[in-house]
Amino acid sequence: MSENKRKGKHLLLGQLFRNRNREVDLMIEEQIQSPGRMMLDNFLHNRLGMIGLIGFLAIFLFVTIAPHFVPIDLGQSDATQTNIPPTTSMMKLPDGLKNNVQAIAPGPTFGVGCDKDGNIYTWGYTKITDKIDIKNIPDKVKDSKIVDVAAGYDHIVALDEDNDIYVWGNTRLGQDRIPTELKTGRHGRPDIIQIEAGYQMSGAVTADGRAYFWGNSNMTDIDVKKDLQGHIKKIAIATYNYICLLDDGSVAYGGLQKTNAFTNIPANLKSGVVDIAASGDTMAAVTEDGKITVWGNITHHENEIPEFDSKPVEIYGGRYHYTALMENGDVISWGGNDHNQATVPDSVNTTDIETVYAGFYQNYAVTKTGSVETWGLKGHPLGTDDLGRDILTRIIHGGKTTMTVGAIAEIISIIIGVVLGALAGYFGGKTDLIIMRISEIIGGLPFLPFALLLSAIIGTRIDVQLRMYLIMVVLGLLSWTGICRLIRAQILAEREKEFVIAAQAMGVKEHTIIFKHILPNVMSILLVQATLGFATCMLTESSLSYLGFGITPPTPTWGNMLTGANNSIVIQQYWWRWVFPASIFGICTICINLMGDAIRDAVDPKSLGR
Amino acid sequence: MRKYILKRLVYLVVVFFIVSLLMYCLYNLIPSDPARDQLEAMKSTLTPQAYQEMYQELRQQMGLDDPIVVRYARWMGLIPGLKGKFDGLLEGNFGYSQYFKKPVIDVVGPPMQTTIFINIFATILALGITIPLGIYCAVHKGGKIDNFTQVFTIIGYSIPVYIIALVFIFVFAVLLRWFPVSGMNTPGANYTGFRAFLDRLYYMALPLIVMTFGSLGGMTRYVRAAMIDALSMDHIKTARAKGVKEKTVIYSHAWRNALLPVITLIISWFLGIFSGSVIIENTFNINGMGSLYIKGLNNHDYELALAIQMFYTIVSLVGALIMDLSYGLVDPRVHVDK
Repeated sequence: MSENKRKGKHLLLGQLFRNRNREVDLMIEEQIQSPGRMMLDNFLHNRLGMIGLIGFLAIFLFVTIAPHFVPIDLGQSDATQTNIPPTTSMMKLPDGLKNNVQAIAPGPTFGVGCDKDGNIYTWGYTKITDKIDIKNIPDKVKDSKIVDVAAGYDHIVALDEDNDIYVWGNTRLGQDRIPTELKTGRHGRPDIIQIEAGYQMSGAVTADGRAYFWGNSNMTDIDVKKDLQGHIKKIAIATYNYICLLDDGSVAYGGLQKTNAFTNIPANLKSGVVDIAASGDTMAAVTEDGKITVWGNITHHENEIPEFDSKPVEIYGGRYHYTALMENGDVISWGGNDHNQATVPDSVNTTDIETVYAGFYQNYAVTKTGSVETWGLKGHPLGTDDLGRDILTRIIHGGKTTMTVGAIAEIISIIIGVVLGALAGYFGGKTDLIIMRISEIIGGLPFLPFALLLSAIIGTRIDVQLRMYLIMVVLGLLSWTGICRLIRAQILAEREKEFVIAAQAMGVKEHTIIFKHILPNVMSILLVQATLGFATCMLTESSLSYLGFGITPPTPTWGNMLTGANNSIVIQQYWWRWVFPASIFGICTICINLMGDAIRDAVDPKSLGR
Repeated sequence: MRKYILKRLVYLVVVFFIVSLLMYCLYNLIPSDPARDQLEAMKSTLTPQAYQEMYQELRQQMGLDDPIVVRYARWMGLIPGLKGKFDGLLEGNFGYSQYFKKPVIDVVGPPMQTTIFINIFATILALGITIPLGIYCAVHKGGKIDNFTQVFTIIGYSIPVYIIALVFIFVFAVLLRWFPVSGMNTPGANYTGFRAFLDRLYYMALPLIVMTFGSLGGMTRYVRAAMIDALSMDHIKTARAKGVKEKTVIYSHAWRNALLPVITLIISWFLGIFSGSVIIENTFNINGMGSLYIKGLNNHDYELALAIQMFYTIVSLVGALIMDLSYGLVDPRVHVDK
């Protein structure tokens, strides 16, 4: 018996792939199998079909499960993260810097640091434009002993032991116009105690309490009030503004702007301030009594300081987050956490931290033993698009949208097609005529222009969610004709069979006959049609979205992620913006079609080999 | 046969009117107000009351407040227009394009030529490849080339055409630099005659290749399936048994029988690419009907869009008619007039 079974299986396999002419034992050939069992066996033994099924299931599970772990912020756009190629090396310290850190400055997508021997290193994605690359460190910088570095949005400032300042990167807007006072000074070259960099501008503080700023002053407030000069101990630069810590322990707004979000300094910062820091749009200060005060344009919960039991001594600002170092060597982070930059790993708080370098979305904590712990934005595994959105996140959520729209549109079209097809096929006569004429007209209409028109009627002014549902309905309404015709033909064939006549003779209600007696017989063909139709619906949705008439951004779909990819710059330079969405979408539809073909072969053995 | 053609023609006309009425109603669903658009420029110079008066007057003039069926009949040219003349679609007035500030008929000329050119060219190319390939695969069923084609065609018909376009642009235009990325002709060069044709062909080459490639998958499979069906018929066995040459069996006995489903395919596919070339034209920035249609929809130029929509509709209706009639021509067994 088991011998027979094995042979039977072998036969099935053989029938599917090769050896179709081999002579077989009559007993095995005639072995009876239930049709369902046979279909399943046929399907399971179809190699391509199984590949399709596994591939589809993998992608399906990926886009249904992953969105729960990778949340998406639809309104997100980040000018500092645009068009970054796939990389995860934004926090990967070079070997020379490990255990030998003098200073680190995190930039938007890159890092720069110097070791205790005065060598300088860069890492991460260092290209600013086609021509400008932070990695190209000037020879002068390489030859001198660097003691401090600062990173702006697109330029780097470095200080060497002779108090020489170097700037490289984007210098088109005067980022390298270092004030002459810093070069010569009235009383000889001054000692520089701090360098900082912001948006297209930089600043330096000298040992005699003076601050100097240079760079693009059109958008930034980088003048210094005269009466502050000589008393400045430290500066903190936000995107366009700065504050300074004075020698009497108070905080002052240094620029000349009369009122902005930062000029109104909180009252408790008149004295006793230990440290100051700035994020992109807020300022923060730590006072002697261990309190942290944050003011400015709070956008990312920068003022929601977590509870702590030690006393903060130093504070550092990223783009949307703050990190504070405690007296006991602990570290806390808070604020914007979309890249995990405010989630301090446990390993950091089990070791004693010497100091922290924070900036943009990265944190580097140097331990007392000299090793470096990092947390924050590692990079984007599949790159980012023109608005700085992570491609991987958008692929995950786009897949969810595309599949949902495709599935629901297909379900709608199946429902319409089955109901109308069943009615037409069973009743015949006038019903049949009317339904078939309607289906002929709708099926004969040019599909894509008609879909575009319906999408234009829906308009873009309505709610995004509602528009998505309406697009599903439109796709469903336009694609039921094929199923309708198929079901009608099947029912016409089934209607004449004896069991229907018997049912009619017994007085079974007509809709029961249609939907309970006849429909189960055409179920298998429906399954094939549904699978292939699902892929078609996904294709249509993506084509519409690609043309800008389907699901509109910011909601991602695999189709609208490719909108605007048809120019040579995107195709060549920003290849990650189209290669990844296109590949996963292509693989997905191929898998569904392989699966559909395999189901058809399994259901209808006559079609084998077509 | 003549009676059948006549019947089909009447049916076609009826369907045309139903569809055009449907389209006209749909376009009227799009929120827009031509009267307000026309007055928009003068709005700042008028008092609100005068504006309102002029607006109502203009609405009256344009006949915007009439019932939709009346407006449809006027647009179609079935009843006299507002100026007392029959002046509608049937009289050759396709409307006025607000976006181009020209009659629609003057706008659609060159794009229509382009679209018809690329579609017919792509059809010829695709048929030239798929029919021999499909026949070869059917005859050598299960062979290496057949298996390869089977897998390859699944990929071909699964991937949307704009992804194929992106890949082809990347490979042929960006990497190999054989073809231009997009456009219609060399900017600034005023070629004439044959030179202009060559230049046009150079720019159209990549879109044509993509269109052809995109249709290879589905069509090859279809031709192959039709041919396998035809080859499994009894009369093929008879012919072989009689010792008819294999070539004759395939190309005369089998192919004639496979032609019927293939013709259905060719025509429906031809209609499909007509509307499908919207995507190609948009991707390659070709000034064709499809990109014009999208321009019309995006710029709320609905008279233009409606005219193009009617073009697509007529193409598909005529296509369906040709499909029906060709059955009788190809296969004498089919009596279409029954």
